[in-house]
Amino acid sequence: MAAFFHTSFGILILTVLQALAIIVPVLLGMAYLTLAERKVLAAIQLRKGPNMVGPFGLFQPFADAIKMLMKETIIPSGANRVLFLLAPMLTFGLAVIAWAVIPVNDGWGIADINVGILYLFAISSLGVYGIIIAGWASNSKYAFFGALRSAAQMVSYEVSIGFVMVTVLICVGSLNLNDVVLAQRTVWFCVPLFPMFIIFFISGLAETNRSPFDLAEGESEIVAGFMVEYSAMTFALFFLGEYTNMILMSAMTTILFLGGWLPPFDIAPFNWIPGPLWFVAKIMFCLFVFIWVRGTFPRFRYDQLMRLGWKVFLPFSLIWLVLTAGVLVFMGWLPHVV
Amino acid sequence: MTNWTTMNWTLAIPEIVLSCFAMAILVFGALWKRESFRMCSMMAVGALLVTAMLVVSNSSGIGYRGLFTNDSFSGFIKLLVLVSSALGIIVSLDYAEHENLRRFEFPVLIMLCTVGMMIMASASNLMTLYLGLELQSLAIYVLAAFARDQLRSSEAGLKYFVLGALASGLLLYGISLIYGFSGSMAFDRLATALSDPTKASPGLIVGIVFVIAGLAFKISAVPFHMWTPDVYEGAPTPVTSFMGTAPKVAAMALLVRAMATPFGHLLPQWQQLIVLVSIASMLLGSLAAIGQTNIKRLMAYSSIGHMGYTLIGLAAGTAVGIRGVLIYLVTYVFMNAGTFACIIAMRRRGRMLEKVSDLSGLAKTDPGLAAALMIFMFSMAGIPPFTGFWGKYFIFTAAVQSGLWTLAVIGVLTSVIGAYYYLRIIKVMYFDEAHEAFDPRPGSLTFVGGVSAIFTTVFFLFPAPLVGAAEAAARVLFG
Amino acid sequence: MIAALAFYVFAAILIGSAAMVVSARNPVHSVLFLILAFFNAAALFLLAGAEFLAMILVIVYVGAVAVLFLFVVMMLDVDFAALRGGFQRYLPVGLMVGLVLLIELGLVLSGWKFLPEAASIRFAPGVSNVSNTAQLGRLIYTDYVFLFQSAGLVLLVAMIGAIVLTLRDKGDSRRQVIARQIARDPNHTMVMMNLASHVGTKDLGYLRPTETEPEEAGDMPEQDHHEHAAQDVARGGHH
Repeated sequence: MAAFFHTSFGILILTVLQALAIIVPVLLGMAYLTLAERKVLAAIQLRKGPNMVGPFGLFQPFADAIKMLMKETIIPSGANRVLFLLAPMLTFGLAVIAWAVIPVNDGWGIADINVGILYLFAISSLGVYGIIIAGWASNSKYAFFGALRSAAQMVSYEVSIGFVMVTVLICVGSLNLNDVVLAQRTVWFCVPLFPMFIIFFISGLAETNRSPFDLAEGESEIVAGFMVEYSAMTFALFFLGEYTNMILMSAMTTILFLGGWLPPFDIAPFNWIPGPLWFVAKIMFCLFVFIWVRGTFPRFRYDQLMRLGWKVFLPFSLIWLVLTAGVLVFMGWLPHVV
Repeated sequence: MTNWTTMNWTLAIPEIVLSCFAMAILVFGALWKRESFRMCSMMAVGALLVTAMLVVSNSSGIGYRGLFTNDSFSGFIKLLVLVSSALGIIVSLDYAEHENLRRFEFPVLIMLCTVGMMIMASASNLMTLYLGLELQSLAIYVLAAFARDQLRSSEAGLKYFVLGALASGLLLYGISLIYGFSGSMAFDRLATALSDPTKASPGLIVGIVFVIAGLAFKISAVPFHMWTPDVYEGAPTPVTSFMGTAPKVAAMALLVRAMATPFGHLLPQWQQLIVLVSIASMLLGSLAAIGQTNIKRLMAYSSIGHMGYTLIGLAAGTAVGIRGVLIYLVTYVFMNAGTFACIIAMRRRGRMLEKVSDLSGLAKTDPGLAAALMIFMFSMAGIPPFTGFWGKYFIFTAAVQSGLWTLAVIGVLTSVIGAYYYLRIIKVMYFDEAHEAFDPRPGSLTFVGGVSAIFTTVFFLFPAPLVGAAEAAARVLFG
Repeated sequence: MIAALAFYVFAAILIGSAAMVVSARNPVHSVLFLILAFFNAAALFLLAGAEFLAMILVIVYVGAVAVLFLFVVMMLDVDFAALRGGFQRYLPVGLMVGLVLLIELGLVLSGWKFLPEAASIRFAPGVSNVSNTAQLGRLIYTDYVFLFQSAGLVLLVAMIGAIVLTLRDKGDSRRQVIARQIARDPNHTMVMMNLASHVGTKDLGYLRPTETEPEEAGDMPEQDHHEHAAQDVARGGHH
């Protein structure tokens, strides 16, 4: 049996199984995230939320999915058909393939590559294409506005995300995500790099176009932004992509700052719980904060958004990066890796 | 891990200091809320002078693992570049006030451009060469478009940028061919590898041709000169003045060093090319300038011609030839800066004038300006005892010594043709009807024009220090 | 075998999409093909063992440069029919130059021999067991630090240039000063008053902030003298 998994066909089967083992829970989690969001928002607003389909409304996501599948996919007559259909697939596909490098436990990742952080960064920087192509291919003013807003926003916040990642990786000395988590055995990076943690999280909100930075789809001004012409499954793919991206961003926050699968303290009651559970619990915490923010803050104005990105986060993260590097060098704490 | 002493990093101190000054002035200008153009310009001139002192006191050697070389050649070029940049900033002071270009970025860009030119002067690796060149060019593109509200200026900047990018592409292509066929980008290793010219592969020669083409664009030699008249005319005049002096010096120095050090053994291969380019530039420079009525365009063609003369020295391929090139460059910088100071002084009721005919009768309304311009024109025409004559003298002697008789003869003939349009300006100033007087000229222009005129006139009395320095610098390349 | 196959697949797509960049009729399609070309180039880097370069290529070119490019192409309504007219006109000349270059290159390359060792050092260059990124870092920050810093200066110049040539401070744009907004006191904006019942506020006019610093006037353009007068009346009336 073990020999079989070393033949090229065996490796292929194994990879497919591994991929399924990651993707299926992610998709399920995504489905229930939509429900959780509605429930949490309802709780914040003193409502009940969906409670009709199944016990406590637990089958609501499936009802939604069936509804989406049943509807007609409308392609506007002026739209560029190929790109119009490509955009949602791209958004969803990118959100899923990023999971290839996420380590759920020590060494439990589909691909344990040396440049894991860069891979994640690259994939997340591609997310903008789905939106910009959707906006352009729709051949509609609102969609194009939404796409422009979102593209500018994502490119701006990527810069500070990049600096935050660089700060983390000079503390780790490696671009491998497994090493990033293992480097947090003594203390999670959210403690020494607390300001960067905050910047990363807020930039993550902007990067996923979530409230209070959801100007790309700001339904009160530009109806639904880049998604305005989409319906049925194409819309559902955007929706899936957005929520998968939220989970991905939470996973990145967990890995970079919250110690991944590591328990908070390596002592008795904590280390009884297996690593993957810690990982999931931390992701859920981050997702809760995502929703909490949505229920609490009003939407940013566009100039405020740009100001925050370029004039506050960028200089601050740059200064903190230099500061961190300086401290590491002068205290001799620089990780020495081959 | 890094052993800083083996890097010899102190060799680049002038460049480092100048960049730090530039960034400091940039920050100061951005944070200082009030009008800061004049103050920033003054600080920039101060920084250039400090850098010049550092260049003089810096030691020679090879630093940064062979990327950077300091020798008397680079020192000579750097001093010349620093002086002409300082003159460029001084010349711009008054113009910027009048034309509403008072922006502190102007001196900062000139300083960064100067850093690029100093890197070019010291380049001993094809990568350093390219980065220095690009730093210099990029700053010039921006400067050419600096008067962004004027269509002409924006057009000049854009045109220069597009063609410059093409030239950079040629250069990079050539560099990649050279690297591919020789396996190194360091000048000294290339020189060793090519010490037997028979072994040079055709790919390498093609690469050298592309490098020469890229650099010829930067010195606006024919057939890569097309941008020159338009860009000279469209760019704000102080920028034209700057563009015509320091970058030409640096690019010429780069060409000389690149041809002399790594490809010195391939002299027969590139000599033909340089001779052709030189002849074409001299001919075009003297013939095309005749019909020009705009004095900036005229200066553009004149600069093409001057670059043609300078290339004669390179074509000679000897220390004497390089000495001639260096002396010619010095005389050229001062003539050019002085002429442009005079052109910037051509202002009537607050409006800039650029026509040759606007100069008519200047001798009666402003004898000082007319005298200065006359000196520069005589010098450019190569009439003794002004510097222009001596520059040509050293160049032609070198050509004759190397047996390049044709080149020397064509050079003399084209100087005679060129003398026609230089003398025409003098005729317009001294013998034509007088117009209304120009506006009173500011002290900064008088300073630049005066210094240049004095240098141009009295150089022949004390030629020894300059000739000696040029001799020492040239010896480095052709021992 | 798989690596060779992957190489040919990626290389073929790369060349195909590069050809599409210049031949696509729709400029937006051109940019998208360009992005595809970048991706395949990154994949080739990966195959050659240069994982850092591959990722940086995607992050910088695809994630940032091409996005801005796409932006510009989408916003500018470039008349490609007119451009194509020029293309047709200059096609013969261009083809001729290209042909000459091609022949020259062919002549040049015909005499090119690879060293026998070249094939072995082609992939995964440098020291084994040191990661690609670390190797690059060691070179860039030691041997090539001068070039690295010069490249930084080039970028600085580009940045200054972009700002110099495009930034226009119109002077009449209103800026949000967050600190001032936060520092604002309720006393500056509110007048607390007791009103007798059944009287109404009709006679008092509109109430506006009572005190504003002079430089804040720009931030609150809705204020004018008329309203100040109304306030004064209101206060007076109240006293």
